[in-house]
Amino acid sequence: MRKEAVVAENLKKKYFTKKRKGVLKAEKEIVEALKGVSFKIYSGEVVGLLGPNGAGKTTTVKIISTLLIPDEGNAWVYDYHVVKEANMVRKHLGVLLSVEKGFYGKLTGRENLEYFGLLYGLRRDELRKRIDYLMKLLELDKLGAADRLFEEYSLGMKARLGLARALLRDPPLLLLDEPTLGLDPPSARKIRELVKDLAHKEGKAILYTTHNMFEAEIVCDRIILINKGRVVAEGTPEQLKSLIPAIRTINMVVKGSDNVKPILQSLNIESYKIERANGIYNIKINTLKPEELLGELLKKFVNNGYETISLKIEEPTLEDVFIYFAEKGE
Amino acid sequence: MSLWNMVLAETKFVYGDVFRRKSVLLTMIAYPYILALFVILLGYAMGSRQVFIEKTGAPPEIFFVTAGFLLISILGVSDDLLWRPNFELWLGTLQYVLISPLPRIYRYIAIPIPRLLIVVLVGATSIIPISIYYYGLGGLIEGAAIILMALLSGIFFTTPIMVIMGIIYGAGGESWRIINIVRPLLLILLGAYYPRYLMPLMGRIVSYLIPSSHIVEVIQLMMIDKLNVLYALSLIGIATALFVLYAPIGIKSINYWETKKLKEGIR
Repeated sequence: MRKEAVVAENLKKKYFTKKRKGVLKAEKEIVEALKGVSFKIYSGEVVGLLGPNGAGKTTTVKIISTLLIPDEGNAWVYDYHVVKEANMVRKHLGVLLSVEKGFYGKLTGRENLEYFGLLYGLRRDELRKRIDYLMKLLELDKLGAADRLFEEYSLGMKARLGLARALLRDPPLLLLDEPTLGLDPPSARKIRELVKDLAHKEGKAILYTTHNMFEAEIVCDRIILINKGRVVAEGTPEQLKSLIPAIRTINMVVKGSDNVKPILQSLNIESYKIERANGIYNIKINTLKPEELLGELLKKFVNNGYETISLKIEEPTLEDVFIYFAEKGE
Repeated sequence: MSLWNMVLAETKFVYGDVFRRKSVLLTMIAYPYILALFVILLGYAMGSRQVFIEKTGAPPEIFFVTAGFLLISILGVSDDLLWRPNFELWLGTLQYVLISPLPRIYRYIAIPIPRLLIVVLVGATSIIPISIYYYGLGGLIEGAAIILMALLSGIFFTTPIMVIMGIIYGAGGESWRIINIVRPLLLILLGAYYPRYLMPLMGRIVSYLIPSSHIVEVIQLMMIDKLNVLYALSLIGIATALFVLYAPIGIKSINYWETKKLKEGIR
């Protein structure tokens, strides 16, 4: 049986903000960041926490990482309560909350890791070995970054160092808040591969937030969609895709004379988009049953003297799922 | 072990932040001389050196170099404590520091310790040479005694600073502007530049509540050769008692701020 790494039950959190009404007057405003979020994360899986801006992702990550006290609800990390046993929770997790900031500029990468390692209670001899290992794992030594001042780091180096800090204690749980934000493709790929390996080969539980749907689809074993402070859907990427109305897109590129519209109308197609360039038409048709429409469609175009250049049926992407649930919550 | 780890970590931080920034280190070393020069030139414009010696019992050069040294020593030790939450918030390190599982108090004890090295260094480049210049080799012992007292004064300032920072940050948020208002007041009340006996009654009362101000008085009495051992020991005793008294309040105060921060969330 898989071990429960994180159990969150009905987490609620309100923030108080001030709406300015002149020089001296301000009105208190309540923002409900979480309205009862529950989920579980198991060892050995990467769970993506996705949602639009302000959905409550970072609030959730901060509560699990003991950096924010929830107003209501409970959460446990490896059976330790995040509020009542915060210190025990802290021993079981590594966090990366921002790739850009979070280190001392006048210390080198290695010195920064030594500083935080000591702060996290690691013994000096094991810390040295661990830092050497992490520098190699994240290729910081190869990049010549280990003994360079943090203030001279590129964003990619900063992200790798952030991940190295999260891994300092070799924790069983990692909380990574947008770890590839702003990174170049090679650095982002390196981090994605490492995250998958850490979960699948080392058995770590990983909570991963991102806005990059392509990344979520290839990194995450399971996805929790959150919107307006509530979990709106949960499952594997494939399961989530099956949750939205099964609209598929026929993407067709044809060459021929200018009467595409009447052909589509003759087939009672209502939802379509046509782009034209140099006598070539790119047609996108949204339909519930593409298989039934396809034969008739091709026949019509051939009979009207069109040459078919390409034809494919597009399945919904995770982005479609994301947009569907985000719009549903509006 | 954990406390030792924290001291080692802070030593790394001080090395990077002060010793690696040569301009910061040089400014700290030069500070007692710059301030003494400024005050003395201002003093000469308004009065005479002799009047100062008659009034205070010490040459203005040594008095103000000592005062400058004391200020930079106390600031060097306590400022990091006072500014640290702001600094960490600005750097984005605060959240990574707060998730340390080690006892919070260890960190606040560890922060000032490596900075004591700076006190010794600045003392060796200011108090020692000027004491030798004025008093010969005997001045070396007096200079060393002043450095020792300055170290004590720096340490004794930590618990009241903890009380103050917890209250300021807890009640007003991490605003450097509030710190900028409170800090000069604290420096005046220490009595380094403005001897305590010259202060108005309210100022004197508040000054008595600051443990380090008693050590500053001991140093001033040493400089004017009016040091009574029994009186000095009683001042050190009062300072120690206040330092110990403020410790639990300081811890509570810091905890209050941190709990508030954890309820609000760190942005």
